[in-house]
Amino acid sequence: MIARYLAGVLLGFPLAAWLLRLMLATLPHRGAEWLIPALILFIPLWIALIAAAFAFRNAARAWVAFGCANAAAFALTQWIG
Amino acid sequence: MKAATLRTFQTVHTWTGLIAGFALFIAFYAGALTVFHADIAAWQNPPWRSEGDADVSLATLIERLVADHPQTKDDFGIVLPSDASHAAYAYWQEDNQTRFATYSNMASPSDDEGHAGSLADFIYALHDSLGLPVVGMYLMGIVSLLYGLALLSGVVIHLPRLLGDLFALRAGHNLKRLWQDAHNAIGVVSLPFHIIFAVTGALLCLFTLLFAALNGLAFNGKLYEAYAQAINTAPPRTSSHIAAAMLPPDELIDRARQAAKGGNVSSFEPDYLHYMHYGDRHAVIEVRGLSQHTLGTYGTVALSAVDGSVLAMHVGSTHTINGISNSAMYALHFGSFGGRIVQWLYFALGLAGAFLFYSGNLLWIESRRKRRHIDQPRRTRVMARATIGVCIGTCLGISGAFAVTWIAGYLGVDAAWPQRVACYGLFLGACAYACIRPIPRAAVELLLATAVLTVGVAFADLICNADMLIRDPSPQHHSVLGVDLTALCLGLVFMAFARAAARRARRGDPHSVWALASTS
Repeated sequence: MIARYLAGVLLGFPLAAWLLRLMLATLPHRGAEWLIPALILFIPLWIALIAAAFAFRNAARAWVAFGCANAAAFALTQWIG
Repeated sequence: MKAATLRTFQTVHTWTGLIAGFALFIAFYAGALTVFHADIAAWQNPPWRSEGDADVSLATLIERLVADHPQTKDDFGIVLPSDASHAAYAYWQEDNQTRFATYSNMASPSDDEGHAGSLADFIYALHDSLGLPVVGMYLMGIVSLLYGLALLSGVVIHLPRLLGDLFALRAGHNLKRLWQDAHNAIGVVSLPFHIIFAVTGALLCLFTLLFAALNGLAFNGKLYEAYAQAINTAPPRTSSHIAAAMLPPDELIDRARQAAKGGNVSSFEPDYLHYMHYGDRHAVIEVRGLSQHTLGTYGTVALSAVDGSVLAMHVGSTHTINGISNSAMYALHFGSFGGRIVQWLYFALGLAGAFLFYSGNLLWIESRRKRRHIDQPRRTRVMARATIGVCIGTCLGISGAFAVTWIAGYLGVDAAWPQRVACYGLFLGACAYACIRPIPRAAVELLLATAVLTVGVAFADLICNADMLIRDPSPQHHSVLGVDLTALCLGLVFMAFARAAARRARRGDPHSVWALASTS
């Protein structure tokens, strides 16, 4: 339980941050007009990711899946600059 | 969904609920009262017992500010009072700290915004940080996140039976079923309201930390600049270094109100002024006001402080997407968008929310009850004691804060310390009492004490102010009357709870922590 919770809290945070960054990047002016809604959306997104971590069968799967998702999201944010 | 996953979410719901529930009870009970912040302020300082400096005009306050602190001319704010019995105060930045001062303490400004001794501000502090500076705020932010997780997991486990069970309230022999139905019905019906609080609560409390983390992680250090741009409503103007006479603040406020109403909102009640380059030909004043019947409740009108011409307007539908989101976040959290009806709705939902956490604990105890034993397990006894001590202790402590504020007002002494001592003292006293007294007796006696204190204060205030309440023509006397009558009703509710708990202790199932038989 605790290990899955930590996966959600620790890896869900950067994942939510990078997902929002990617979402903003697809909007005109790099999402400058949608910054506040995006910051508000960060909280439910993070909470949803913490909850999602509990849906994995065990902690190892949660850590691996979230780790891979983080790597992919980070690579994409670097790619779009 | 698989049974194992549902069980996991059930555990997540139970534990996040239990851990966050106590702090959330305090936040919801104090928050329900905070909806009527301005009315509680009027109750403490009715028109016939005004706060010091309440009669100082805005022009006099500003003249004193720029004379005593000339460096503030480029940028300072004035917070307007909620009614005529309260004082306006100025605020500005100095040495990276925010300073606050009313007219008479201009020479020694404070770095704390809360009015010392203001009951409404003290209850607000209990709501957002349990009254503990800095640490309390972060703690409540984490509690809000756990609360969000409890909501989400609660919906997941309840989802398969959501519609079928929504209107079911099975009152019968199975008490756990009744509590479970009440808990589910309130949880589902007020879910949108709870989602709003979990999200905005976490954001308002953890803003600084989140911002710093997101800035480094995903925004290459550019978030502060982007954010400042997103919420900026003032037109860019630099100082001309040519002195000019300023229009009186009251006239500028009137012009802002007219401009806003000529736009697209039905009302605009100014609550805050922001001056830039005061005394300069390019001086700008931003007037912030509260509009009703729109989600963009807080709007601003920027005017030239020299001739009163409108330079920019962000009110109602003239808000940007960023502006309306920012404004809606506050409006939805504080219930300030729809007049008295929405305030009462928020008050009721706030109390229902407190009940949700209380009933969650009762459910936990009930589902671990030993049906054939008089002696109940230690963990359920501990949980029952903690629930009584913290929840009823909170209600008792807040009623105590009202009582000492009322006494301090009559004696003419500062209420700041008495409020803290009474509130925390009664709270800790209630927790200790719940630990040593037999559980059913502690519940009944603490509920009775809360009822007596709450009714007593309201009664005393009504009797002492009766002639003023009849003679005073100002609208604030409705607030005073409203606070007293609400306290009377709440006191009667506590009385009814005490009776119900006493009946349960005597006549209910003896195999329970709530029965007198288990303790005698």
